Amino acid sequence: MAVLEVKNVTKSFQLEKSKISVLEDVSFSVDSDEFVCLVGPSGCGKSTLLRIIAGLEKPDSGEILFHGQPQTSPTRKITMIFQMFGLLPWKTAQENVEVPLEVLGMKKESREEIAKSHLRMVGLEGFENTYPHDLSGGKKQRVGIARALALQPEVLLRDEPFSSLDELTAKTLRTLVLEIWRDPSLPTNTFLMVSHNVEEAVYLADRVIIMSSRPGKVVGEVKVDLPRPRTQYLRDPKYFKRVDEVIAILEKNKHEVEAKS
Amino acid sequence: MESAKSFGLTGFKYTRHVIIPAIVPALISGATLAWCDGWFFMIAAEYVEYMGSTYSVPGLGSYLAKAAYVYNDLNLSIILLVLITGIVLYLNFLTWHRLMERASAGTYKPTIRIGLSGVGKLGTVGSRFLHLGDHIHRPKSLILASKWLKRYTRLEKAIAIALSLVAVFSIIYFIAGRIPSVEVFQQAFADTEFANLPLYTALTLGRLAVAYVISLGIALGMGVLAAEHKRFAAIFYPIYDIGQAVPILALFPIFYIAFSRVFGGTLGLEVTAIVVLVLDMIWYMFLNVVSAVKNIPSEIKEVGHLFGLKRLKRITHLVIPAILPAIVTGSILSWGTGWNTIIFAEYMPYGKPTIYPNPAVINQTYAAVGQNFTVSIDVFDVVSLHSWQTSVIFDAHVLQCNMVSEGEFLSSIGTTLWNSGQINNTSGYIGPINSTLLKNGLGANGSGHLAYIYFTKIAPVDSEINLEETKMLDATEDIIPSSKVYSLPGLGSYLDKTGYLPPPKGNPVRLIFLLGVVATIVLLMEGLVWRRLLRKFEKYRVEV
Repeated sequence: MAVLEVKNVTKSFQLEKSKISVLEDVSFSVDSDEFVCLVGPSGCGKSTLLRIIAGLEKPDSGEILFHGQPQTSPTRKITMIFQMFGLLPWKTAQENVEVPLEVLGMKKESREEIAKSHLRMVGLEGFENTYPHDLSGGKKQRVGIARALALQPEVLLRDEPFSSLDELTAKTLRTLVLEIWRDPSLPTNTFLMVSHNVEEAVYLADRVIIMSSRPGKVVGEVKVDLPRPRTQYLRDPKYFKRVDEVIAILEKNKHEVEAKS
Repeated sequence: MESAKSFGLTGFKYTRHVIIPAIVPALISGATLAWCDGWFFMIAAEYVEYMGSTYSVPGLGSYLAKAAYVYNDLNLSIILLVLITGIVLYLNFLTWHRLMERASAGTYKPTIRIGLSGVGKLGTVGSRFLHLGDHIHRPKSLILASKWLKRYTRLEKAIAIALSLVAVFSIIYFIAGRIPSVEVFQQAFADTEFANLPLYTALTLGRLAVAYVISLGIALGMGVLAAEHKRFAAIFYPIYDIGQAVPILALFPIFYIAFSRVFGGTLGLEVTAIVVLVLDMIWYMFLNVVSAVKNIPSEIKEVGHLFGLKRLKRITHLVIPAILPAIVTGSILSWGTGWNTIIFAEYMPYGKPTIYPNPAVINQTYAAVGQNFTVSIDVFDVVSLHSWQTSVIFDAHVLQCNMVSEGEFLSSIGTTLWNSGQINNTSGYIGPINSTLLKNGLGANGSGHLAYIYFTKIAPVDSEINLEETKMLDATEDIIPSSKVYSLPGLGSYLDKTGYLPPPKGNPVRLIFLLGVVATIVLLMEGLVWRRLLRKFEKYRVEV
């Protein structure tokens, strides 16, 4: 069943005198319990699309349906983890997790408890009173994950979450993300992630949606049917086949764009 | 910055290509503020009360000051204010705004372009040269502006070096020439008011603190609104432009008249001083708040949006913490200018001078060539005048002095010791003329004639008559200022009195001491408050 539907979304920005078309007629859907990755060259509008889904920006036309209902503003059911982690530097790890809960009108004791348990879940016990300034990139990312999960959303959007981390940290966090996704005790089980790393996308996702740039369009889709956990397949030809399929679609469209211009 | 370092841009080149272009917008807004502060103090600088007499340099500032303080001419002062405001706005518009637009091109477009097309090409070439693979697009106009400014910074550097050399040598000359005698040292700390110094310091700090809190509050409100809503920006930017440009000190008498009606004399004066301070301090805060709010990283704003932070919660959880470092920088600047202003705001000359020649200008209608006439030296609204002294300056090509005689103002009270001074008809000088009541503790109140000077006119042109080295003492040997002053007890007014009035009230050693007190307070605040806050808020900066 489709939890999230993106229907004919078009978006352009006004820059000085010229109008730049960012997204053109983008449609796809994400099913319940599905892990979908959006890949595409930089400037293909994937981050903008994620922001439209999160309700942070309005599309020029088209709509976002959540369980069949149009979605135009941010909701706690769909939440996002930012590329640069989006932590408020003036709040401790714990306070950062508490902010959205405070907005929901939750009492101090219960939000402290929820924040503590979620920080523990992402392995940040003992860092509750540390400011983001003193946390490593990976730990900041963990705080961002804890903050998003504390809201108990159904859909988790992730905007290139590992792009600013070193490969080792990214690897650990990918495992953590998959654990969260597969944890049946958590309500958060539908993931939509933007990435420009094809191998990462194939490793994580059930389905990889490929976008082209200027304007951003959906140009293809690759189903990844490798069994999980996939760590054992990382040297497997089956894994590389999927990666090559995605790259082939990306390359083809890259040439088309170049031919057009 | 790191990209620049990796390309080996170091030292002077680094400053030229990276630092200066990066700070151009800040430099320009700084220059705007500096100019406006210049306008602000022009009033004070061109019209100075020193050693009991008024010194003025001809200029728009002194004209405005005279209009407001001496003639009490509201219409004239308003016309002149509008004129100055116009000039400032015009300058802002012509130079600073245009530079600002050029420097921040890309965010908004310049509205006026004059003779830019030719230089534009050069700029493009320059920018291509400068880019060196830099992934940040630097607008060519920024480089133009930086080039333009760079030339000036080099020139300014030369001027600054020359000026500081002159300053150092003159200080050495001054100190070597007149080392204060022991007597001057004793006088410095024997002053009756000196014991009040802690109280004065507290009062002045209190006024500054009140004005600071008010300006912080208003600037925060205005700044956040202006940065986030175009509608408010359209209202507040012109207010800011005019507000920072208007020489507020010139409005002092008018404010005082208004506020003393509402609050009464003393409180009215306090309110006037605080209002003047607020109008001076607020703009640094405003500018800093606006630019800081505009520079909050979009990701942080999105976080607020995503998690539903709205209105007050958004302001307290997100906006205010994000701009705290900017508030501190704004505060440092505000306090700096506040110290400057309070020294004037606590001690302002106003109204008619208390001693003046009548008439001050001898024109054709007053006396024809060959005609004899009289000029009197008058006092206005003095309290307990015991003794006085002055010298008269006139144009010896136009007038010749025949005689000086004593007026009845002082002599009607008691026996006086009168000295009519020396008449010099070659250089145009009479003096010193003085008179003192023989009986101690006696003094004359009100207005009247101190002396009569008999002249003959010898040439068909106008001549001014000026007083110099004027001094009046009351029955307790205290100085009667040569024009009325508004004075509030405080460090600022004490400094003014020490600097402007003749000894024993005026005293160079005490002046340096008081300046040292001010400097100490400023340094203490810097070290104990601002530095600590900045260090603390440094952590709050969003890493992008």
